[in-house]
Amino acid sequence: MANRTDPAAKSIRGTNPQNLVEKILRSKIYQNTYWKEQCFGLTAETLVDKAMELDHLGGTYGGNCKPTPFMCLVMKMLQIQPEKDIVVEFIKNDDYKYVRILGAFYLRLTGTDVDVYRYLEPLYNDYRKLRQKLADGKFALTHVDEVIDELLTKDYSCDIALPRIKKRRTLESIGSLEPRKSVLEDDFEEEEEKEENEQIDGLDNGVDERDYYHGRSPIRERDRDRRRESHRYRDRDYDRDYDRDYDRERGRGRERDRDRERDRDRERERDRDRDRDRDRYRIREEKDYGREREREKEREGRERERRDRDRGRRRSHSRSRSRSRDRKRHGRSSSPKRRADGPDEPKKKKEKKEKKDDGTDHPDPEIAEANKLRAALGLKPLKL
Amino acid sequence: MRPSETEKIKKIGEFGIRDTGLVDREMLEVVLNDRLGKKVRVKCNEDDTIGDLKKLVAAQTGTRAEKIRIQKWYTVYKDHITLKDYEIHDGMGLELYYS
Repeated sequence: MANRTDPAAKSIRGTNPQNLVEKILRSKIYQNTYWKEQCFGLTAETLVDKAMELDHLGGTYGGNCKPTPFMCLVMKMLQIQPEKDIVVEFIKNDDYKYVRILGAFYLRLTGTDVDVYRYLEPLYNDYRKLRQKLADGKFALTHVDEVIDELLTKDYSCDIALPRIKKRRTLESIGSLEPRKSVLEDDFEEEEEKEENEQIDGLDNGVDERDYYHGRSPIRERDRDRRRESHRYRDRDYDRDYDRDYDRERGRGRERDRDRERDRDRERERDRDRDRDRDRYRIREEKDYGREREREKEREGRERERRDRDRGRRRSHSRSRSRSRDRKRHGRSSSPKRRADGPDEPKKKKEKKEKKDDGTDHPDPEIAEANKLRAALGLKPLKL
Repeated sequence: MRPSETEKIKKIGEFGIRDTGLVDREMLEVVLNDRLGKKVRVKCNEDDTIGDLKKLVAAQTGTRAEKIRIQKWYTVYKDHITLKDYEIHDGMGLELYYS
């Protein structure tokens, strides 16, 4: 008697609304003490009070699949079938997160596709923590937006098979829904703008150096590359500085670091000037083609290194120079290697195709199929 | 040589018996029946766990693996134990229930 659906209730998806929960789980709920004691004769108003007392969500747990109070209340809602505005009120309320989740879950089960997307998507912005009871009885931490994501993307949640809803793209193409606008879009745009501004500022200092250094064509033509490079350059610098600072700070005080940083900056400026002079020399040489350029560079590089070692300023130069040298080396060596690999690769590929580890190419079709299924499930192939 | 092969050879040598198909003790086929119309034959390894067997059954029947319960009379088989440890042999029938 207490388990019959309200006679005035509409049928959902062609069936008794309670049938949305499958038979075994339904029987388990009817036999549950929480259902028998607390959920007897509930109306929409008293249901709200019960929902406010919820402190966790989940499906069934334990060896004999005991349902959680959350499940029982979902069942009750399916039984009494509250009005849509009441459900929307549940969702819109901000104070009680479990009431919100309860409303969202019920709407997902019973609402139309458009309603589901329209009312559940704003809940993506809710980052509050929730307590979820797992199948083994232990609690896990989850968040409101994670649960909403599960409801919208997966087809099984809290031990209830969620009815199929159309994909968002389909609804957009029909025109029932507008394309999704994320609240984070504004944040992303702001961040992009900030990055661009920073890079433009950073360029004023490093422009000349970078250009001469890599012997590239004028600034105007290679804006993007430069920005990317300067960005990379900056990051490397930051990392180096950070490591150095961290190591130093551990041992000594911070005041000394500040002084050292000031000294370092002064040194860097001096080095930059020296670099520019040296690089101008190099560019003149680069105008002559052929390997002589390379040799001279290396010679100069060696000289420079010696000079640096004498003055004890090995830092940025050798590193960046070795980088450019490495790049040249890689540039040359890559092509001969590729040529050698050509004839070998197809042979290796053929070998691999013949001996598959899955056993999916077994001559017996039954076993091959079984192995395919096992591979899909993540199991090892059959041992024969 | 794989152990199964050496066993086969021993058998043939000792008793002169011919090896008969799936007696190699690695792969076996289990029959699961739920007495309501679903009868499923599943090929599996003897070192697969019951949980893996449930996944294979779920793939064939269409139910969810978590809902399946495999029993033998009143013994409910646990998920983390292998078929070999339960001494489930080739061709054995198990009962399929749902939870």
